[in-house]
Amino acid sequence: MLKKFKKRSKCCGGEQNPLEFHGLKKIVLVGNPNVGKSVLFNRLTGAYVTVSNYPGTTVEVSRGRGKIGDEYFEVVDTPGMYSLLPITEEEAVSRRLLLNEHPEAVVHVVDAKNIQRMLPLTLQLIESGLPVILVLNMMDEAKKLGLEIDLPGLEKSLGIPVISAVFIKGTGIEELKRVIKENARLIS
Amino acid sequence: MPDLLASDINYGDAIRAALEKIEGSLKHSYRLSRRTIALLLLQNDEEIYEMVKARENSFSHIQEIITATAASFDQPLNYVITIKKQELVNDLVTAHVKERNNTETNSFSELLNKLTITPVTGIPILLLVLYFGLYQFVGVFGAGTLVDFLEADIFERYINPLVNALTDRYIPWPAIQDLIANDYGIITLGVRYAIAIILPIVGTFFIAFSIIEDSGYLPRLALLVDRIFKKIGLNGRAVIPMALGFGCDTMATMVTRTLETKRERVISTLLLALAIPCSAQLGVILALLSGKPQALAAWVIFISLVFLFIGYLTAKLMPGEKPLFYMEVPPLRMPTLANVFSKTYTRMQWYFLEILPIFILASVLIWAGKLTGLFDLVIKALEPVMELIGLPPDAAVAFLFGFFRRDYGAAGLFDLQQSGALTTTQLVVAAATLTLFVPCIAQFSMMLKERGLKTALAIAGFIFPFAFLAGYTFNQLLKLIGGI
Repeated sequence: MLKKFKKRSKCCGGEQNPLEFHGLKKIVLVGNPNVGKSVLFNRLTGAYVTVSNYPGTTVEVSRGRGKIGDEYFEVVDTPGMYSLLPITEEEAVSRRLLLNEHPEAVVHVVDAKNIQRMLPLTLQLIESGLPVILVLNMMDEAKKLGLEIDLPGLEKSLGIPVISAVFIKGTGIEELKRVIKENARLIS
Repeated sequence: MPDLLASDINYGDAIRAALEKIEGSLKHSYRLSRRTIALLLLQNDEEIYEMVKARENSFSHIQEIITATAASFDQPLNYVITIKKQELVNDLVTAHVKERNNTETNSFSELLNKLTITPVTGIPILLLVLYFGLYQFVGVFGAGTLVDFLEADIFERYINPLVNALTDRYIPWPAIQDLIANDYGIITLGVRYAIAIILPIVGTFFIAFSIIEDSGYLPRLALLVDRIFKKIGLNGRAVIPMALGFGCDTMATMVTRTLETKRERVISTLLLALAIPCSAQLGVILALLSGKPQALAAWVIFISLVFLFIGYLTAKLMPGEKPLFYMEVPPLRMPTLANVFSKTYTRMQWYFLEILPIFILASVLIWAGKLTGLFDLVIKALEPVMELIGLPPDAAVAFLFGFFRRDYGAAGLFDLQQSGALTTTQLVVAAATLTLFVPCIAQFSMMLKERGLKTALAIAGFIFPFAFLAGYTFNQLLKLIGGI
């Protein structure tokens, strides 16, 4: 048990890129606080980072290894950011990561209920030339509120893949994996 | 609607021209597109500014473009650009998102939401949450029932006598016997404190806290206390690290990072170190005082007053801009059992692995201190201080423990109270002083890491004498009203 714990504390939190991820393709999860990035991280890597229902739980970068099909990826969970123009220290951490590393996929997770407030960051990410995939999480809650989102239309307007998901129930994970894999192939 | 080009947003002619000129002057390649770099430069992003300045020879030219463009607008460029982007987003949303008028919205959760953030109903709800979640579940069940069972029925009856007897029989040297058994032994004190006192208290606290946390109650609490917090120079957002502090002050000190201004971060770090007891300490204090409601009330009132007073004072003394309130409020959700369970489990695992070695180390240090006479020397030195705040000399031991960890000190006090060595007034004063007293080693090292040597030392240097001064005042006050 102690060994497992040690290994975990080594893999998470460090800003440097440890050897165990050397040569792996990289998936970076970004988005506003409290949209479900950490749940996705846990689902992709099988590791555990604390998930809670309030913003700002993740203040450091977590790294883990996840498998899609038969290929391993490095998955990076970032502190919440509202914009590419940072205001707080945690946002600066996330942007620095985008400035310094070469991700094969940037997964922008948004809360579908608040899509209007979150799309500006999607636009910034697209503008910056990063390989963005947009994930509309918490679709169940959005539907309950009466929101209907036209995914194909949004995909066409934005020019990037758009996926709907309910991470907490595991919905959308497989499709996201498929899209990541296709995207990563396109790039390399 | 016209084809939207997200990768080439129309910011208007003036900005477009400026962007093209800046992009043309950027000779180096950056990980992010030239468009993004140019936009960030126009919006006065310091980090990008320094980066580009260091790399581009023609930077003065870029600088001129930025200044000229900014001068041609009435509003800051940041604002203009944000508005343009939001316009495009609004078009996107109009085109692709339909809002059905929905009558079956969950009116119950909406009602609950209103009730939690309106002061008239919010404060009683907060008191209910505190009473059932913390007092009954953690204080009475965890710190009472569970601790009694583990302490009295398991350790006192079986483990301690067995360990004492075994070491007595097989180890001929009294010094080594004391290392493992007897009053301050690794097993009879270190392991006992960790397993019989701290574990049940922290375990029940983590369960209660995980449920509260996942329900989405905390951000609503933040809205509720925003008004009070503003008075002490913090905004409602600071309630998150404060509330987390009741779980673990070390973790909470790290989370102060999410606050926007340096001033807020320093104030929060100070308040966390001074007036927010961590879960383990809180649990033990609840257990100590739960038999005497008036004592518990006195403790709560005194600590709250210190919190508000010091917060108000630092906010007055520290210059800086007043913070704006800005926070996401997630919906109220039914906590999922699996998440509560795995969260409680990971926290307990992390916590236990962290404290057990420290408790053992503390036992060893105390043993070494006793052997060399250093321990008694320190206790002797602390005794006049104890006397000053009206405590028996024995209490010095608890304070010495408190150096290692907050909860360890409180556990020492618990031990002392079990043996009937303290009056109620003494108990409250000791609990209050110990709450204010030094942050534990882990928290202090986190303060060093997050706030730097100077600030961390200044905070510790303030807290140390202040705790005893406050204890002294508290004791005098209680004496004045004839004790409780």
